[in-house]
Amino acid sequence: MELKFSFLEDYWRFFLEGTEITIILSIFAVTVGTILGILIVLIRRCRIKPLKWIGTAYVEFIRGTPLLAQIYLVYIGVPTLFPGFDFPDLVVGIIALSMNAGAYISETIRSGIEAVNIGQTEAARSLGMSSKMTMKDIILPQAFKNILPALGNQFIGSIKDSSIISTIGVADLMYKTQIVRGNTALGLEPIIVCSFVYLIMTFVLSRVLGVVERRLKTGDRK
Amino acid sequence: MTESSKIMIEVKNLHKSFGTNKVLRGINTSIKRGEVVAVIGPSGSGKSTFLRCLNLLEIPTDGTILLDGIDITALKKEKDIDAVRMRMGMVFQQFNLFPHMTVKENIIHAPVNVKGMSKDEAENLAKQLLEKVGVLDKIDAYPSSLSGGQQQRVAIARALAMQPEIMLFDEPTSALDPEMVGEVLNVMEQLADEGMTMVIVTHEMGFAKEVSDRVFFIDQGIILEENIPEELFDHPKEDRTKDFLSKVLH
Repeated sequence: MELKFSFLEDYWRFFLEGTEITIILSIFAVTVGTILGILIVLIRRCRIKPLKWIGTAYVEFIRGTPLLAQIYLVYIGVPTLFPGFDFPDLVVGIIALSMNAGAYISETIRSGIEAVNIGQTEAARSLGMSSKMTMKDIILPQAFKNILPALGNQFIGSIKDSSIISTIGVADLMYKTQIVRGNTALGLEPIIVCSFVYLIMTFVLSRVLGVVERRLKTGDRK
Repeated sequence: MTESSKIMIEVKNLHKSFGTNKVLRGINTSIKRGEVVAVIGPSGSGKSTFLRCLNLLEIPTDGTILLDGIDITALKKEKDIDAVRMRMGMVFQQFNLFPHMTVKENIIHAPVNVKGMSKDEAENLAKQLLEKVGVLDKIDAYPSSLSGGQQQRVAIARALAMQPEIMLFDEPTSALDPEMVGEVLNVMEQLADEGMTMVIVTHEMGFAKEVSDRVFFIDQGIILEENIPEELFDHPKEDRTKDFLSKVLH
């Protein structure tokens, strides 16, 4: 069989526009997801039991249900429960993706914190540092360095997961690809182009994270 | 009574359990200002736990610890406990330097951020202390590039930078290669000569005998015997002390 890519001449703009939306979705999902992830970690580490339970339940729920179901829950559930809230689809997509990423990122951060030797906390506390300062200045910088590879995987996962947002009509790369498929009656070629664009995005991100990782490693040969 | 012989820490009926495991079963003693106390005893006897209770790294199950007459075990607020810990330096078996900070940052972080010392002042102090412990040339190095002995000496400098009134040493040479033990003990001996109050949990019997004013033999969670080193090492009274010493002194 022969693959035809001549449709790109007419449709390259579709891919470009879709890519823009995908990048916006991913950047927000990763940023908000990271903030949410840190908050969940803090909630789960605090002394107030009910807050702890809420944090744990949240993570279990997100990990135990499909992303697609979560997207519909936000897409349909939020306007039903709160009639005043009528967000644009893109915002719904960002909320759903962030909520999902936040749970996974919190687990990554938690494992990173737990991997820092208890002696570090004891040394910091013995110097009179508060628990807050110990966490901020001693534990988190070390935890962050340890979890960067895992966090990178999570970010790459978020870029790919964002494609599912197309199901609620957000005009991201996947959505635009489907339109091109429909318009051109080509089944395979647009998906190949689409996959290639996702690959470029994830590849660039993984390279950038690789550089950050190496930077952080200098001086700390272990 | 002179100022230097004043009681600094008084421990009364100190108990500590981990679950059903009773590690400390009623420690009673006192430590005077300027005194160097060596704590010896078999593994698992509670030596380290006793030391860690003194700066509340372990919260005692029962009993009181008076620091200058104030019961620190009754402190509830984190701030008050931090304030007590600032007055006590601690040196750990595993050094516990902060690997993401240079030697200098390790030393000045707490003085600047906890005590509010100016950065210049803290850096000067860091240089002085590093000079004293003999690793000034490593001031900008990261801990991972230092030998164990150097790391431990930096850890001592870091604790001293908070200008503590007492230094607690938790088996400071146990994780070191034999050829590095001496350099750390020398620094500690110098500190003792300068009049620092010190509590040292150690397996270095020769050092304990030479440097300490008093030795505690802890066994099964109590101070079974305490005496001046000449007496405790050469004329132990308790059978278990004799037995322990016969095993570690060859």
